[in-house]
Amino acid sequence: MGDTVGARVGAGVRAAVGAGPPAGEHAALGDEPPAGRRAGWRGRRRGGWTAAWRALLTVSALELRARLRDGTAVVIAVAVPITLATLFGFALGGDDPPLRATIGMVDLDGGQFPAGVRHELLSAKELRGVVTLRDLPGQDQARRELDSGAIGSAIVFPAGFSTSVGAGEGGRIGVLTSPESPLAGVVARAIVDRISALVDARTLAVRAALLAGVSGDDVKDLVERNGAAGPALELGDDPLTGGKIDLSVYYGAGMAALFAFFVVGASMRGLLTERRHGTLDRIRAAPVPAWVPVAGKAAVGFALALTGACLNWAASTLIFGTTWGSPPAVFAVLAAHVLAATAITMLVTSRVRTDAQADGTLMMVSFVMAFLGGSLVPLFSLPGPLREVARLTPNAWTSTALTELAGADRAGWMGWADGMAAVAGPIGALCLIAGVTGGLAVWGLRKGLLR
Amino acid sequence: MSAATHAPEATGTRTDAETAGAVPALACAGLSKRYGDVVAVDDVGFSVAPGQAYGLLGPNGAGKTTTISMLVGLVRPDTGTVRVGGTDLAADPITAKARIGYVPQEIALYPELTGRENLRFFGRLYGLPRRELTGRIAEVLGLVGLADRADAKLGTYSGGMKRRINIGAALLHRPEVLILDEPTVGVDPHSRKAILDGVERLVADGMALLYTSHYMEEIERVCDRAAIIDHGRIIADGTHQELISLVGAADTVELVLDGEVDAAFARLRAVEGVIEAVRTGPSSVRLIAEGGRYLLPALITAVEGGATVTATQVVEPDLEATFLHLTGSSLRD
Repeated sequence: MGDTVGARVGAGVRAAVGAGPPAGEHAALGDEPPAGRRAGWRGRRRGGWTAAWRALLTVSALELRARLRDGTAVVIAVAVPITLATLFGFALGGDDPPLRATIGMVDLDGGQFPAGVRHELLSAKELRGVVTLRDLPGQDQARRELDSGAIGSAIVFPAGFSTSVGAGEGGRIGVLTSPESPLAGVVARAIVDRISALVDARTLAVRAALLAGVSGDDVKDLVERNGAAGPALELGDDPLTGGKIDLSVYYGAGMAALFAFFVVGASMRGLLTERRHGTLDRIRAAPVPAWVPVAGKAAVGFALALTGACLNWAASTLIFGTTWGSPPAVFAVLAAHVLAATAITMLVTSRVRTDAQADGTLMMVSFVMAFLGGSLVPLFSLPGPLREVARLTPNAWTSTALTELAGADRAGWMGWADGMAAVAGPIGALCLIAGVTGGLAVWGLRKGLLR
Repeated sequence: MSAATHAPEATGTRTDAETAGAVPALACAGLSKRYGDVVAVDDVGFSVAPGQAYGLLGPNGAGKTTTISMLVGLVRPDTGTVRVGGTDLAADPITAKARIGYVPQEIALYPELTGRENLRFFGRLYGLPRRELTGRIAEVLGLVGLADRADAKLGTYSGGMKRRINIGAALLHRPEVLILDEPTVGVDPHSRKAILDGVERLVADGMALLYTSHYMEEIERVCDRAAIIDHGRIIADGTHQELISLVGAADTVELVLDGEVDAAFARLRAVEGVIEAVRTGPSSVRLIAEGGRYLLPALITAVEGGATVTATQVVEPDLEATFLHLTGSSLRD
């Protein structure tokens, strides 16, 4: 009844006192002439950008101040990275080379490849005193030795391997590893990777020669004369890239990668707190672009996380004399990692409703990324499928890139250009992760937090 | 109410702003917002002239906050337009928002900052230059009566002081339109008076005001015009007198009953002259009735046998009665 009466009477009153102007009438009331609007557009856009940047700085300054006031900035961006670098330095670092690996060799082939590998491993200067080879009669024996801890890993050459490669048919080499001896696993895999590359080249060359009509008897000579130089391995550069680094550097970098999520997450979580307090809506009601509150928080989170990662790096380098590799390249990798971490935490923030949800989800995402990405356990100790999944995490690319840089630097100084070139792929992958997750985050924020 | 009833073709007087030929400080037309199957706001439109105070009355869930959220650019309307000083909010939100001072219902400030720091933050956000801002903050602190507590943390403020600084943060940039969403909820009488006095001064100085409140007496005191919104629609819009005239000569009759209240309530509704009836408590009833004073004997007689009238009060028509009449519920229900 109330509705019916109200509608009827309300309409009457509105008609009597006059309704608000309809959409069509506004043009006559408020629109400026089109020419004037066009003339002022460029200036207004410039002014708009200036105002937007000023608003961004204002929001960022408040966020930074809040983080400094409550002490979280100092703790997680300064104290924790330095403490972790120090702890890892004492626990895992030092002057003693950390790499001691005994590798089992199962030679069921008896051909040129196993012989070449053995020769190169024993004659390489870089491996002297680091790698010990132990011949074993079969794969079962190797497995038992591995389980007992007598060897850290094993390389198994199957029967007929060299013949198969020589015929251009390729071949498979087995690698046995143990989580108890991760570095030996790195060494074995590094060797096999080199062999694989050699086998691929050799196979391709042989097939090409055969297709070109060279007789089978002449193929071997032809191939070796033209560069695919048989089974000999060239281990001189750095056969252990990915493994020959100080463990304190490896795990220190891993912790830097992990903590980047926590530091950025703390800032992005503040966005939810602001929404709960109503200050987010108040900022959005101000004459600033919609992205300002998010970008303001993200910028501070990014800066603090990058500061923390760099302090970790600096502490590791200055206190313990470790090397992380070419500084510009290391900085670029850390910056790309933090960028990806920022985008991922933004994505999480865009999908949760409460602070508690944010805390739980960010914690889970951070540790899953760290675990899969080699920040907590070496990548090579993960099962094969998980190693593939790890490619989706920024931690894996960061770990790969920093290990590459540190390993290369121990073998000899790497210039900044070479360093950047060495990590261009991982940095590209990190930027791609940042772009994809950042795009999803923006979409989610527009649908949710910034509806 | 169809959209046609909002159209200007309807005969009648025009709003003050249109009559004067001035651009309304705030105007909206055809605003609608739907969340799934729920229609939060349906075809809402009104305008507020410079120097005019406009009230928005409605029970909880009527669509007031959604409407305000669309007016300040927090929620994108499904249909309709919002113009602030003639600028289309959707087309040029930065310019339009710069003309609005928005005071949300909650204390949307930072408790870990001082009052002055809070004002400085929002002043910078609205683009006030540093030099000008310092002086403007002092002015606003004086305006809201908090100059002596400016450097105390907001967390130490009383509820009334927080409300005042909450309003102050919206005044820094000298807005053309001030939008206050329930600004006096939970404040002591002293602070309420200070807030209402201050708001009246701002309107007197030419600022346009959009004011929502559960307190009818505040709307009656502060606003020149008001709209009653219910179920997302504006069901009445006019000056106090125009709105009150909707209930005609009807009075509000408050009765306290003893006995079988439910049965008595049903009998009271049936008494000739009773327009509307609502239970206001376990033993109390509010009636809208023609000639309430003269109807009292009939009302007392109607409940005899099952209940007894133990107290009566007859109130002349007011906005509250109008609201009750139009919405069928009390504003504070």
